[in-house]
Amino acid sequence: MTPAGAWTKALAALLAAAIVIPVLAVAPLAFSEQSFLQLPPKDWSLRWWSAFFADPSWPRALLTSLEVAALSCLLAVTAGTAAALGLPRLGRRMRTLAAGLFLGPLVAPVIVLAVGLYALARSAGLVGSTLGLVLAHTMLALPYVVLNVGVSVAALDPRLAQAASGLGASPWRAFRTVILPAIVPGMLGGGIFAFVTSFDEVVLAVFLAGPNVKTLPVRIWEDVRVEYTPVVAVAATIMIILAIIGSAMARLAARRRA
Amino acid sequence: MNAAGRQRAARVAVTALLLAPAMAIIVFGFVAPLMRLALLSFSAPAGPLAAYRELATVDVYRIVLKNTVVLALVVSAASLVIGFALAFMLTRLEAAWRAIVFACVVLPLWISVLVRTFSWMLILERNGPLNRFVMALGVVDHPLPLLFAFPGVAIGMVHVLLPYAVLPIYAALLRIDPALLRASDGLGASRAATFWRVLLPLSARGLATAATFTFLLSLGFFVTPALLGGPSNTTISMLIDSFVNERLDWPLAAAASMALLAMALATIGIAGRFVPVSALSEVG
Repeated sequence: MTPAGAWTKALAALLAAAIVIPVLAVAPLAFSEQSFLQLPPKDWSLRWWSAFFADPSWPRALLTSLEVAALSCLLAVTAGTAAALGLPRLGRRMRTLAAGLFLGPLVAPVIVLAVGLYALARSAGLVGSTLGLVLAHTMLALPYVVLNVGVSVAALDPRLAQAASGLGASPWRAFRTVILPAIVPGMLGGGIFAFVTSFDEVVLAVFLAGPNVKTLPVRIWEDVRVEYTPVVAVAATIMIILAIIGSAMARLAARRRA
Repeated sequence: MNAAGRQRAARVAVTALLLAPAMAIIVFGFVAPLMRLALLSFSAPAGPLAAYRELATVDVYRIVLKNTVVLALVVSAASLVIGFALAFMLTRLEAAWRAIVFACVVLPLWISVLVRTFSWMLILERNGPLNRFVMALGVVDHPLPLLFAFPGVAIGMVHVLLPYAVLPIYAALLRIDPALLRASDGLGASRAATFWRVLLPLSARGLATAATFTFLLSLGFFVTPALLGGPSNTTISMLIDSFVNERLDWPLAAAASMALLAMALATIGIAGRFVPVSALSEVG
């Protein structure tokens, strides 16, 4: 293939800019002086950041989001890692079936899951509870952990564990010293993805949230649908910053794996 | 029980214990809600199939169904064309450029669809930067109706879908031996002929994966059309939402959910004939 010419480079740069600029366009508005959202802002100030922290509902939503994301990440990593270790121990048919079920949440339309979970949660009294949100987000994040840890498990040489037990290590010790170190990068990568999946998620959260338990995306959604102020831009900017930290951490985790 | 039998039983028990927590989450959080909806969809007071009959016969619902499929086809096709161009450029860029452009392509995957859609609302506004830009260019003399209309929804959705198109196509292009393209060139094929007869067939699997992914995702889109679209851009997801939250008609909401799920499964089923389903998990 011929190397890229100036035209290809220019077009690639243009497309890359067209992808990234719309994502970040909201951030400057968080530092705007005006009381209406218009791009680009004319004067700069931090007044909307003060407004964000002055209204208790916004910081509370941020804390709820972090709490739900941390808990569902923990649950998804625990259950997903165990599942990724268990899957290769199954026979071929059972493995295909179980793996298909574990990946199901990736392909089902999210609105269908949201309505179904809402119907169930209503009869179980879980609407508007942190527990309901955590369980729903754990389900959504599980496939990413199973996939990520699965890659690490597949790369594992089964002779290593055999060697460990042949040398007299107990099964637990063999797991701790041989298997666990090899799958930690996969757990880390899957865990970061699980956290961000929950932190970013809005549709399930809108259906399962209640007056006292709202995540940040739910709070943003409510404002955006009615009438929005630059405080929404502050909330969006906080979400962007946390997402970028997440992606940077994932890159580090991937480097550790390589 | 002999020693071998005991060892075998212990092995089965450990496997079951490892899979049990994830299985419980999937059964209660994924299988049960879908079963519940399936049952609800047959629970209309006017008879078990009444909700489905209403969906299939009321004009408004049929239009929404058609809108959803047309929108999904348009945005998938646009994502595939732009995605192929981007993926092809990625293979030809030198390493430093490639790393930057690739980072730009995957960055949006990390950021909430809600935040990205909100950004587009500000950009597509009547007096927003995009309208001022095209007016300054002199292309049009009055602002275009972008927000709360089809163009806005399509732009927003293509933007969300693009990484899902680029990644599998890029992976497929990387697998093509560059010698084949040089050979096609050397044997006198025009650029167009090389594209149609070498590049495209050899990347068919990646294109099929990308098409499946983008179409599947766009069928179920909710946030982006709900915020960027107008009343005439209602999708089936928004219809389901309004059945639950405005009309409080659970059987109808459940039947529409089953219809959407069936469309998603049909897409995977058809795609599965061309691409191994496992290829769908290569993205990400």
